[in-house]
Amino acid sequence: MSIVFENINFIYNAGMPTERKALEDICLEIPDGQFVGIIGHTGSGKSTLIQHMNGLMKASSGALYFQGENIYEKGYDLKSLRTKVGLVFQYPEHQLFEVDVFSDVCFGPKNQGLEQEEVEKRAKEALRMVGVEDHMFFQSPFELSGGQKRRVAIAGVLAMRPDVLVLDEPTAGLDPKGRGEILDLIKDLQVKTGKTVILVSHSMEDVAEYVDRIIVMNEGKIMLDGTPREVFKHTQGLEEVGLAAPEVSYILRDLKKRGLDVATDAITISEAAEAIAKAIQQRHS
Amino acid sequence: MNIIETKDLTYEYVRRDDQGNIEGIVKAVDGVSISVEPGQFVAILGHNGSGKSTLAKHLNAILKPGEGTVWVDGMDTADESNLWDVRQRAGMVFQNPDNQIIGQVVEEDVGFGPENMGVPTKEIWERVEESLRAVGMYMYRKDSPNKLSGGQKQRVSIAGVFAMHPKCIVLDEPTAMLDPSGRKDVICAIRGLNDVEGVTVILITHYMEEIIHADKVFIMDDGKVAMQGTPKEIFSQVEKLQELRLNVPQVTLLAEALKQRGIALPDGIVTKEELAEALGL
Amino acid sequence: MLRDIIIGQYYQTESVIHRLDPRVKLGGTLLYIISLFCFDNFIGYVLAILFLGIVIRLSHVPFKLMVRGMKAILFLLLITAVFNLFLTPGEPLVSVWKLSISKEGLVLAVTMAVRLSLLIIGSSIMTLTTTPNNLTDGMEKMMAPLKVFRIPVHEVAMMMSIALRFIPILLEETDKIMKAQMARGADFESGNIFARAKALVPLLIPLFVSAFRRANDLAMAMESRCYRGGDGRTKMKPLVYARRDAIAYVCLVGYLVVSIVLGNVVLW
Repeated sequence: MSIVFENINFIYNAGMPTERKALEDICLEIPDGQFVGIIGHTGSGKSTLIQHMNGLMKASSGALYFQGENIYEKGYDLKSLRTKVGLVFQYPEHQLFEVDVFSDVCFGPKNQGLEQEEVEKRAKEALRMVGVEDHMFFQSPFELSGGQKRRVAIAGVLAMRPDVLVLDEPTAGLDPKGRGEILDLIKDLQVKTGKTVILVSHSMEDVAEYVDRIIVMNEGKIMLDGTPREVFKHTQGLEEVGLAAPEVSYILRDLKKRGLDVATDAITISEAAEAIAKAIQQRHS
Repeated sequence: MNIIETKDLTYEYVRRDDQGNIEGIVKAVDGVSISVEPGQFVAILGHNGSGKSTLAKHLNAILKPGEGTVWVDGMDTADESNLWDVRQRAGMVFQNPDNQIIGQVVEEDVGFGPENMGVPTKEIWERVEESLRAVGMYMYRKDSPNKLSGGQKQRVSIAGVFAMHPKCIVLDEPTAMLDPSGRKDVICAIRGLNDVEGVTVILITHYMEEIIHADKVFIMDDGKVAMQGTPKEIFSQVEKLQELRLNVPQVTLLAEALKQRGIALPDGIVTKEELAEALGL
Repeated sequence: MLRDIIIGQYYQTESVIHRLDPRVKLGGTLLYIISLFCFDNFIGYVLAILFLGIVIRLSHVPFKLMVRGMKAILFLLLITAVFNLFLTPGEPLVSVWKLSISKEGLVLAVTMAVRLSLLIIGSSIMTLTTTPNNLTDGMEKMMAPLKVFRIPVHEVAMMMSIALRFIPILLEETDKIMKAQMARGADFESGNIFARAKALVPLLIPLFVSAFRRANDLAMAMESRCYRGGDGRTKMKPLVYARRDAIAYVCLVGYLVVSIVLGNVVLW
């Protein structure tokens, strides 16, 4: 029960002057129940990577296993794979189309061929899971705020009851308040349902606090893969590819350079404050 | 004389239902009075729906004040005969770079504004070159905007406005749709225009780290100016900022956390250099 | 995929075709299309293909790119061919049930397909080598006399150029919307024609909403950059005929005359 990439390659516009390798020899295993952050700057291949997970894009070569089955095998049911690996795209505006929020969320389960009663049950359940209150069910999805739209979009995918939830930059374009709320919601969903959650982002700070594992993509390859703490040790490598470690690790490094004997591996504010307080105490004693 | 001044500016959106009956009135901007001096770098901050974008649209005469007055370089924006002068004097850059680039080639897009103003051909070329150099996009002048990254497109948009030789540039969340490196480049270009070219900049954003170098900050909430002052003054009120549900720079938060642990530090630390000095390093 | 459609996609490179005055290219395209329907024999086709081949070579645009653009309208080509094949009366070659393929039908189907292909490739050269702004300028200037009849020439030209610029953006967006709906189990590929038409609703609504929002944003951006129609506007790249444009006109007219004369020679 997991997602396994085996030597996946993907070439854009094969045979054209604009040919480009978007994914190069990707080997990757995502076990069940993990909260994974995939990070990379624009064009690093992170979006291409996740679109392989539910079969929207087909690798040029290699094999992809979902729950032990090769999805490229002849006769594999890609349509049902898409309901098991739920993919929420970056902009909710790309999927909202119904007259009201509730019917929009019904779209996914209806496509699964479920009974009307079951469809509505799942839609309600999904909407409540993402914190959309009942009185909003019959509002037009186009009149919602950015953060609310995103919630409805996530519900639209959750309503299919996928085993894996993949989110492509769910916080893009939101203000800090909205960003925090959506990330808290996703973490909450992950803890409550135990689903595998894969979060794509270009913001290190967003994911550092939330995920168990970070995969850093660069030029179609996996550059780093490990716990946030392990990954953030490679500050220089991250900077070379246009990414940054969390701000606090720069502050700590700066203080150390100025002569404070402080540990620099903290990744959250409270860890950093702890480390600095300790170092200052030592200096005074 | 102030380059931008608003006095008791109020603007309401009227929501109507299907039959055209009035459903509700939203005061997007409510009694805002601000002033901006020439050459300043001013930041306007607030979360979505705080009225900051509506305010911005008044500075370029896209919206006319419901009540109150807006002056741009001394001209009343409600006066129809000032319209084109106002728009030339205070240029505007919008959030989505795709929806404001008109040309299919970078240089043609930058030339669009001067063409509209009736600038002679030879001078258009000079302005286009100068503007593209100012934002570091000159080498892409022959490219199609569709091939550029978000940050590059946004810099082209800025060049397009700068080519109109405005006294003031208003940027409405120019970095909201960009990734971190694109954001850095755009902010760098904006600061360059302010420092080197002396253009007054009004930057509307919700990213705290972008306003650290501003001369003056206005914080909008619920259509009103909730706080104003220098970045240092603003960031010394961490609790109030969090109440307004705004982010605070990481260094400031760290300094707060240290204070709670009994380390004596001054208020309003916004850069890591300041923190190091305050810690006696 | 949808993004394969290249109409309105400018290809940046240096070539003599790129540097030609847009009026020459517009006129040339028109003349070429006329020429395609003025000949009636094998020599005409050879000439038309040869002429197009030379222009493609001169344009430095990869031929692959144009063939790729053709894929999008392959369906249209096939339909035209099928209609011509079965519905042209004449001496039957093969008969199956009530349908029969005549010799005339076969000839017409093939020649029509070739003509259409040439027409499309020919017009795509114009859009591939001319920036929409440039094209707009060309059209505006060519149609300027129509202003007398109160036709808003500048506005029409501007609208066309904006449409061209947004086509690739909207196509990419269509692609994204399709994927987002497919991720929710939408099926655009199976079912009968009604089911398919219905399946398009979740694609078309977000697309229209987005197009209107973009239109609104763009209008605002244009106004804030002092756009107020064609009056009083200067040009960054004013159209001035150069020597090469005169030469191009001569070549074009020469080609047209030769193709009409040689293309009809057998009829005598």
